[in-house]
Amino acid sequence: MYYQLINFGNEEFYAYPNKSLYWKRLKTLIVADLHLGKSISYAKNKQFLPPYDTKEILNELFISLDKIKPSNLIIVGDLLHDVFSTLSLKDQDHKNLSQYMDNTDFIWIKGNHDKNIQIEGFKYCTNYKIDKFLFTHMPIKTSSFQICGHYHPKVKISHRGKTIFKTSFVHNEKIFILPSFGILTGGLDIHSKQISDVLGNNNLSIYPVGQDKVYKL
Amino acid sequence: MNINKSNPLLLHPLNKWMKKKKWSWFPHQIETFHYVRTGSDVVVFAPTGAGKTLTGFINPIDDLIKLKKFKGLHTLYISPLKSLANDIVRNLEKPINELDLNISFQVRTGDTTPYKKQKQKQKPPNILITTPESLALLNSYENAKEFFHNLKYIIIDEIHTFLDNKRADLLSLNIERIQTFSPNLQRIGLSATLKNKQDAKKWLCRKKPKIVSYENSVLPKIKILESKERIPWSGHMATYSINEIYKEIMKSKLTIIFVNTRAQAEYMFKNLWLINKKKLKIAVHHGSLEKNLRLKVENNLSKGLVDCVVATSSLELGLDYGDVEKIIQVGAPKGINRLLQRVGRSNHNLNTPSKAILVPTNRFEFIEAKAAIEEIKKNNLDKIVLKEGSFDVVAQHIFATACAGQFNIHDLYKEIIKAYPYKKLKLNDFKQLINLIQDGGYVLKNYDQFKRIFQLRENKNIYKLVNRRETRKYRMNVGTIIENPMLKIKLGTKTLGNIEEVFIQNLSQGDSFIFAGQVLEFQSMKNNLVQVKRSKSLISKIPSYSGGRMPLSTNLANSVRALLAKSNMWDSYPEQITEWLKRQKNISKIPKKNEYLVEQFPRKKNFYTVIYTFAGWHANQTLGFLLLRGFKEFNCKPLGFVANDYAIVLWSLKEVKEIKTILNLGLLDKHLDNYLEETSIVKRLFRDNAIISCLIERRLPGMEKTGKQVLFSSDLIYTVLKKNEPDHILLQSSYEDAKKNMIDYDRLREILKKIDKKIILKKLTSISPLAVPIILEINKENLSKKETDEYILEDLENEILKEANVLSIN
Repeated sequence: MYYQLINFGNEEFYAYPNKSLYWKRLKTLIVADLHLGKSISYAKNKQFLPPYDTKEILNELFISLDKIKPSNLIIVGDLLHDVFSTLSLKDQDHKNLSQYMDNTDFIWIKGNHDKNIQIEGFKYCTNYKIDKFLFTHMPIKTSSFQICGHYHPKVKISHRGKTIFKTSFVHNEKIFILPSFGILTGGLDIHSKQISDVLGNNNLSIYPVGQDKVYKL
Repeated sequence: MNINKSNPLLLHPLNKWMKKKKWSWFPHQIETFHYVRTGSDVVVFAPTGAGKTLTGFINPIDDLIKLKKFKGLHTLYISPLKSLANDIVRNLEKPINELDLNISFQVRTGDTTPYKKQKQKQKPPNILITTPESLALLNSYENAKEFFHNLKYIIIDEIHTFLDNKRADLLSLNIERIQTFSPNLQRIGLSATLKNKQDAKKWLCRKKPKIVSYENSVLPKIKILESKERIPWSGHMATYSINEIYKEIMKSKLTIIFVNTRAQAEYMFKNLWLINKKKLKIAVHHGSLEKNLRLKVENNLSKGLVDCVVATSSLELGLDYGDVEKIIQVGAPKGINRLLQRVGRSNHNLNTPSKAILVPTNRFEFIEAKAAIEEIKKNNLDKIVLKEGSFDVVAQHIFATACAGQFNIHDLYKEIIKAYPYKKLKLNDFKQLINLIQDGGYVLKNYDQFKRIFQLRENKNIYKLVNRRETRKYRMNVGTIIENPMLKIKLGTKTLGNIEEVFIQNLSQGDSFIFAGQVLEFQSMKNNLVQVKRSKSLISKIPSYSGGRMPLSTNLANSVRALLAKSNMWDSYPEQITEWLKRQKNISKIPKKNEYLVEQFPRKKNFYTVIYTFAGWHANQTLGFLLLRGFKEFNCKPLGFVANDYAIVLWSLKEVKEIKTILNLGLLDKHLDNYLEETSIVKRLFRDNAIISCLIERRLPGMEKTGKQVLFSSDLIYTVLKKNEPDHILLQSSYEDAKKNMIDYDRLREILKKIDKKIILKKLTSISPLAVPIILEINKENLSKKETDEYILEDLENEILKEANVLSIN
């Protein structure tokens, strides 16, 4: 798999086009905002999206786990979309997940969407620290480097008279925000108020995600 | 029947009023009155100015007077436009008030206040004037049956505008519904003159179907602008003739200039304004302008307060503007019916001919304009192709039915297949559409506990809405017209109109563009409002609007081919055109009516193939993509192609020797799916289908989601669905829509079926005169969206890398 090398906090990370991030030194794979079961929670409002999101997201995750074989998997929040989402996890999904857990430590950091939900066999925490890196759903006040999710960053690119929007990895000196690993999840412009309140507008490193490649701007 | 012997209309309640006005009844009015009175459903064909509106009301008024103090709704009048509905009321109130007839009539459209609507439901008028969308809404109320059960007549005005689109599907289903409520209902259709009158009859009439037709013997006077300037090889803006157009405006009291796109309207208006030394009052009118601005222009037009209005099809239908003296059509007429409709906007008097001037914007358009004039002389109109009903509209109708109360699916199915567009709807497809409304209709049954409608336990054929709250969602989503995501433009606090979001996204702060005839500077975008200020900038962009392309009608295309081949006519053309055609004849060939000319020549480092199909842009665009694949298969290394209404040009690295082998029907069967996949045509149509079938909600003003996001999520839905459930009914429906509307499948198939025997291949040493216009159009990139995105990213990254290198060297 092609990846883009990203230097953050004097460590090397690999950004993959499937929107996962790998910290090779510590064999740790990081994903954010899967929003499993988003379709089923929309269905309760009679908005019937195709019910295949959970299956597809998990498949993509399993492909990564098979290829990379990390020791740790950190989910930086919003693994599930809401309390209805567990309905979309079938028996087979549970079985598969626990099989992967035999070789990989799953660290589920709670996000705003899934803070009150539990899945059998899943450990969870509100944030997680390795060395000088803090893994958290939303950034907090700290002197550590932070790796988080929540915002689903997207970048607007205007070039040669055309404008496109692309899902994107983005970080400043201290804070790294992952794109959403989900498939029915939208995105937020990195220059929107919500994100610039966190990252500021200057000295951003932006990595748009293309078809089979992560670019660097 | 012999109408001279006795005219039953002399005893009609309106006869007194007609006499007072010194008007006499038209033969088609007498005929219609007779047929409807004897129980027929009728379609009346008559030109503007022949009392068409009155014709529809003759029987209803007669009946209402005879019935004396009829209580409740008696007649329903369906108009294609809200503004037209208001106009009908004004026309109706004159005779009814003057004769003091005891008949109540009201209008009901999206603009009617909720209070008034409520009152109408409690105490319906005798005559209700409304639109197809408002009719659909009325049918979704629980008391719909009581409301309509005494209805005697339904009148469909301008029926020709309904026959070939999804609105027709919606209307046909709702007519069948009220026919169920009121079995004795009679149908009256009013139409402009059509070629295939029988089709309109089949679509509308059930009881003793009859056609009544009145042809105008006075032909319009149409000529082509005689220009001293050079007609350009290509382009669509008519800049060359602006001074001559201005002179024509000065000559007439009131002129309407019709153009084909909103961008052309803005451009033409701007150019006229630049040379407006006489300070003529010129206005612009198109569908994106704010309603109030449009109404102002229409008002000024009917009062004769302007000298000229530049307009798009937005002014084709609607009010009678009696004082319009001249029509100028700038750009290709595209179709005979369209041109006649436009020309008919001048001089609403049956005995004097309408006057029009055509301004071709390039050389092919000159031939097209000439051909259109010839066909109008021969009264050879375009055929309106009735469309087969779309699935998404049925889904919406099922939802509406559920809103009105519980229903039996077999009764509903039987009612739907009575509607002409749905005669062939399969029970199985219908059941899938029921499932679509129920819970999305996915194979993976995940949503059992969240259904929108459910089967009664005691009778599995009866379905019921789970929750009354859902009715609100239906009512927000009603209708079949889906606009591209639009943003409101604000100048200070004043709203100027709507502009496509895609256009605004490409602007940066400080960029200027033309809208509503003004040069505006883009300041900011907040909460879906585009804030602008006036600008004096001389460089300004013109907003483009997607979907602005009108198809060249097959009829007119055939006529263009025929005319091109008539070399004895050439001497009557302007010299530059004659010269162009003569040189083509010497260097290459002028194709005969039934021939397909293919030219091949080297140019610069590439090899060019030009195919003259005259098949219209949609079909040519499709064929271009298919040929690209065909060329690849034969290893000719194709690089790209460009299509217009008349021809396709492809360029490749290698000579294409096998063109006769490649160009056949197999091409279509083999590569079509691939084409639809790659170009995101189906994806775009899926969005419309998903909205019409109420799978996703329509964006309404004030909702936080921007249009881009709706598009975004429908794209995601499409991708997930395509991968997991490629046979889903909505994907089928989008695919059918694409075949019918976007790629002109049938037309292309018809051409490819016979093309191999009719190809005339000319190998040339350089470009031919006929090929120049299309070669000049080569500047677009025909990359799919996916490819474009990757291209932009890559290019930008490379640029930045280069910059970085330079910096490090320094």
